[in-house]
Amino acid sequence: MSSSLIEIITSRDDAVRNRSLDEICRAASFADLLAECAALDAFRRQSENLYERVRALFFLYAIHRFHLPERAELKTGGRIPFHGYEQLLQRRFEEAIEIFSEAQKTDGPSDALSSALAAAYHRLAFQTLADQVRRSVRTVRGNQWMFRMGHPKDQPLRVRRELLTKAADGSYPILRERTPVRMDLTHSAWSDIFFLGMDYPEGAKVLNVSVDLGVHGRDAAPQPPVSAWLRVIEQPVLRLVSVDLGARADISELAEVFDFAKDYLGLLKAAVIASGLVPPGIEGSGQSLGGLLAEMLGPGRGLELVSSVNDIPKGSRLAVSTNLLAALIGVCMRATGQAESLTGPLRESERRLVLARALLGEWIGGSGGGWQDSGGVWPGIKLIQGVVAAAGDPESGISRGRLMPAHHVFDTKEIPAESRQRLQDSLVLVHGGMAQNVGPILEMVTEKYLLRSASEWQGRQEALGILAQVLDALRDGDIAKVGAVTTRNFQGPIQTIIPWASTYYTERLIEQVRAEFGADFWGFWMLGGMSGGGMGFIFAPARKAEAQQRLQAIMSETKRELQHALPFAMEPVVYDFAINENGTFADLLAGGNALMPAGYYALTVPELLRQDQRTLSPLRRAELDKFGAACRTRPELRGMVQTLFDAMLPRGKADAASESLASLLQENGFDAKQHEQIRLQLREGRIGLAQNRLPTNAVIEDVHEDDVVDLGHARSARLEARGLAALRNGEAAVISLAAGAGSRWTQGAGVVKALHPFAKLAGRHRTFLETHLAKSRRISRLAGANLPHIFTTSYLTHEPTAAFLAAHADYGYEGPLLLSRGKSVGLRMVPTERDLRFAWEEMPQQMLDERQQKVRDSLRTALIGWARGAGESSDYTDNLPLQCLHPVGHWFEVPNLFRNGTLAQLLAQRPQLKTLLLHNIDTLGADVDPMLLGHHLESGATLTFEVITRRLEDRGGGLARVNGRPRLVEGLAMPREEAEFALTYYNTLTTWIDLDRLLEAFGLTREDFAPEANADEKITTAIRNLAAKMPTYVTLKDVKKRWGHGQEDIFPVTQFEKLWGDMSALLEIDSRFVVVPRRRGQQLKDQAQLDGWLRDGSAAYVESLCAWE
Amino acid sequence: MDIRKALITAAGKNQRTLPLQSLVDRDGVTKTALAIIIEEILSAGIEKIGVVISPGDEAAYRVAAGTHASRLTFIEQSEPRGYAHAIHSAAEFCDGDPFLLLVGDHLYLSNTEKGCAQQLVEIARAENCAVSAVQSTHESKLPYYGAVGGQLVNAVQHLYQVEAVLEKPTPTEAEQKLDVPGLRAGYYLCFFGMHVLTPAVQRILRELFTDNDRVNFRTALAHLAEHERYLAAELAGRRYDFGVKYGLLTAQLALALSGRDRDEVLRGLVELMATN
Repeated sequence: MSSSLIEIITSRDDAVRNRSLDEICRAASFADLLAECAALDAFRRQSENLYERVRALFFLYAIHRFHLPERAELKTGGRIPFHGYEQLLQRRFEEAIEIFSEAQKTDGPSDALSSALAAAYHRLAFQTLADQVRRSVRTVRGNQWMFRMGHPKDQPLRVRRELLTKAADGSYPILRERTPVRMDLTHSAWSDIFFLGMDYPEGAKVLNVSVDLGVHGRDAAPQPPVSAWLRVIEQPVLRLVSVDLGARADISELAEVFDFAKDYLGLLKAAVIASGLVPPGIEGSGQSLGGLLAEMLGPGRGLELVSSVNDIPKGSRLAVSTNLLAALIGVCMRATGQAESLTGPLRESERRLVLARALLGEWIGGSGGGWQDSGGVWPGIKLIQGVVAAAGDPESGISRGRLMPAHHVFDTKEIPAESRQRLQDSLVLVHGGMAQNVGPILEMVTEKYLLRSASEWQGRQEALGILAQVLDALRDGDIAKVGAVTTRNFQGPIQTIIPWASTYYTERLIEQVRAEFGADFWGFWMLGGMSGGGMGFIFAPARKAEAQQRLQAIMSETKRELQHALPFAMEPVVYDFAINENGTFADLLAGGNALMPAGYYALTVPELLRQDQRTLSPLRRAELDKFGAACRTRPELRGMVQTLFDAMLPRGKADAASESLASLLQENGFDAKQHEQIRLQLREGRIGLAQNRLPTNAVIEDVHEDDVVDLGHARSARLEARGLAALRNGEAAVISLAAGAGSRWTQGAGVVKALHPFAKLAGRHRTFLETHLAKSRRISRLAGANLPHIFTTSYLTHEPTAAFLAAHADYGYEGPLLLSRGKSVGLRMVPTERDLRFAWEEMPQQMLDERQQKVRDSLRTALIGWARGAGESSDYTDNLPLQCLHPVGHWFEVPNLFRNGTLAQLLAQRPQLKTLLLHNIDTLGADVDPMLLGHHLESGATLTFEVITRRLEDRGGGLARVNGRPRLVEGLAMPREEAEFALTYYNTLTTWIDLDRLLEAFGLTREDFAPEANADEKITTAIRNLAAKMPTYVTLKDVKKRWGHGQEDIFPVTQFEKLWGDMSALLEIDSRFVVVPRRRGQQLKDQAQLDGWLRDGSAAYVESLCAWE
Repeated sequence: MDIRKALITAAGKNQRTLPLQSLVDRDGVTKTALAIIIEEILSAGIEKIGVVISPGDEAAYRVAAGTHASRLTFIEQSEPRGYAHAIHSAAEFCDGDPFLLLVGDHLYLSNTEKGCAQQLVEIARAENCAVSAVQSTHESKLPYYGAVGGQLVNAVQHLYQVEAVLEKPTPTEAEQKLDVPGLRAGYYLCFFGMHVLTPAVQRILRELFTDNDRVNFRTALAHLAEHERYLAAELAGRRYDFGVKYGLLTAQLALALSGRDRDEVLRGLVELMATN
């Protein structure tokens, strides 16, 4: 058949080319969709054109992810071949697609296989894009030679004579590059993503402004925020110093230059490589760094490269790190004659070279920025736009646009000086304190662009119009209009394309500022990939000073309110800023002025002072003298003596923290004896990741058809009536598990997932807490009786949850609402090398892209070093006290109800209570469905576990027959990874509990919970006895440690847990299993899932279960 | 174009004594480097030769030139102001005529019957324009040479229309500006130390020296490329810079290995290698 989708991809007619995939798929039959998939797959294999291949891959992904699963003809369930999954992990996407397609041919299309194919096509699409961007970076003229150079003798660069000439005092001059950062005035719908620029150059446009910054109230005047310093030294090493990150190293081996994650000097190393000082082609050559330096500088000499950031926090959305990289590259290129201008601003051709090298540096360092991010290298206000590739360009015939954009710097005729001043007089620039990963957002944007989803495409066109309007307003000096337009951009196109660009925090800020400043608040402006970090608020100039004060207060207060709900990395900051009309600018500091930044000396002098002065080189001694003299005369070095004193004799800060950790442990029922026992077992290797697994001789098979009851397809009026009657009679209650930290949700940021306003439902941001209550409200109304709702909490989540509910008046929930506070806590430990190696080397895991994998390997080596150095299995205490504790697994949460009086309280209110529904905080589709309740009651089971058919992303165990008996098996316990792939059903953890039978299993009765029973001892013993039968799992969790200005490190730590699903393994408990619809059972574990969840109808499904008011 | 004059520059600070060194030529005859260079010029059919020297060097050069001394016009460079200034010092000698330019510290060894200078002069005559001899050079040697970028002339191998001239470019710059079709990746056309130049060059130098105390000769050549047809030719031969470390030794070996005493010299080398 002729494929209408291929026609869309290949058409030169914009009207056809820009048709939405959804529109065509909706009209197609199931058979048509499968035929289109076959045609697209064949097409993408033979097309030479990057754009065609990538768009076909995205079409294939979208059909398998969104369109086929909607069709009734698609079989639910199905098996995913494990071998294909392995290929996927190894990034052999083509092979994975082959295997999944083959399985589709033999077994027929299924929901499971479509999920696997969707994942494989999606990753292959992004891999194809990334490969192309990297190929293009390498082929940019001026970058190529560095990949050919493999021997020091071939190093063609020489350090300029000016830098090798000593001053009268014997010191070498210092070349200093100072660079502004950039802000993006228009945010043209993320059109600065490389691929968008390369595929749709006409639509890639931004207004980019170079700015100097100061922290309001701290700095006297705005300065270029980043600087790079370079000088010759008389040692054959590369001395790298990051003043901002407090790190330094003398590098004498070539291999170390390419070891990015070993220390905090990755950015400097990337600059040294990308600028050609240590060209990328020499990596792995086994040659000597000293030899390479000798070629450039003469024998015995080396280079010192220093980076400094004026305390601007990470996540500012001002491209601080890309501009710092550009500054470092700039100073290295000037020093080696690759830029003709040794000092002063750069010429246009030189700026473009720095851009090309910064792109290369970002690739080498495994990071990645947008193509406008080096904007600080250019002066003032400029239009950066995509360029259509022409014959002779390396991109010609491969992509529609060039990799490198064109920059047009506006002169004062185009944007008058007065307008620039007005902008500065009205704009309040802030960092809201949130630091979030924008990576998933950029992927979403790319995907939506390629699918041309109707509303998003419309939004993109609108955003382009907004750029023209901002430009007009700037020309006219009408800043109020700029504000109106940027606000419209944020509320319109930006959120149409990516709803997640806004956060509840941002909207609260805007709301408060608008209420306070009324018509004098001219507008909001989002900087960069998403809001919450760097943001702009535009005011009538007369009120700017007041607005700066008030915004600081409003942000701090709102942050306090939401600090447990959203991942804040730092205290919010208001900046002073000024437009920088120079762009990057260098000067040569010689003689008495040849001093490094003050922070450099704070970092290096203490160690020099500890050394015997006679062992210092004459150059070092002279520098110390010079620095000493400067401290007495230069105002900017005032306070240096105090700083050095503090650095050499640090005051004890650890005491307070350890005291608070000890009291936290005590308050939360920490069992020191058990802790020591676990440590001993860990050290002896009796427990650990490898020991979590069931014995290898355990027979694990898929369940039989009659092991489950399928309630996923048809409704039963009879069961529903039975459930409703029980509800009406007040026999049921619901328990949402909200004690965990949800570490995957914010990568270990330690916020309370239940309180996260994760998505807009019914027009407002809703927390998990509110959503679960809204479902219970609907059921209460349906049954005509209020449903008790219990949230379990822990040391981490209890206080914030209680405070949050109080502040929101329990979201107006009419029924009983109880918090069940956890009674157990563990103390995290430094992992053993054995467990780290098991997790990273023995377990199948996702390989990364080549460069990123190198960085990850290097980081892992460093982390193993950290674990050895810190002491394997020692207590993890080097963090905020709350980050050192861990919840001990959700198994304990039901017994906690027994111990902490919650069950007693419930039974006192509702003696008729018979059934509890337990579910995870992220199982948003779970509610007290009367039919499922009716089924559970009728079955007479103690526990009814809900399961769903499996998709690729459903990892972590499932329903299996273990040695002939059906039970749930945790992923951690799977003796072989592939065993999980033979299981049809995934465990949702949602459980219907018959209270009396459960108590019986514990050896308790409901009478033990009567106030007069005094059965605390009995209850505790009963819990301990059952707990002893439950396996203990050792796990590794990522925990964030924050430091500096918004910097974060992630450490893997060891903790242990007992898990609820293992109840199904107990012979004395009658466990049953029901299959429920996927939308009811699926879990939201990762914020990157949100967009798909919204688009595939899951969000609408959840909304349909809710009664918000 | 009739080329009747040649200019040898030998006034550089580290260059003054180099042409006076003795070498054994292809025929086994001991000569000074200067004499070998002069013979190279004579083989191209040029008889009027100017030598730019530092003040006071004339007597030594006369001796070194031997029987060719009478053909030479000596031009003293009054101040050490660089290569371009040395050439411009000979403006009077050139007197509005085209000229062959060589440096005094290079030896040229042709792979054919025709000497390098002869090859170059013939091309310049045929093309009727300025031509610089160039050699395809690996980018690692860029710090030592001037280099040109351009296009092949009518797809004739080894002849290029010069579009850009850069002095000791970095490979970054070379890659962007000196791309030449047909060369292997990482190779650029670097100067060979031999040019046939038109009278326009002396005029350009005069203009440049009006405003500047020091002028880079590559700047003058870049101007030349903008104003008139200017070609670069890859010659069938190699040049040896005996101004660099072991340069004289290499030049001597190259001469000997291409001449009558090849076997004898090779034997000597093998013996050396075997006993060291």
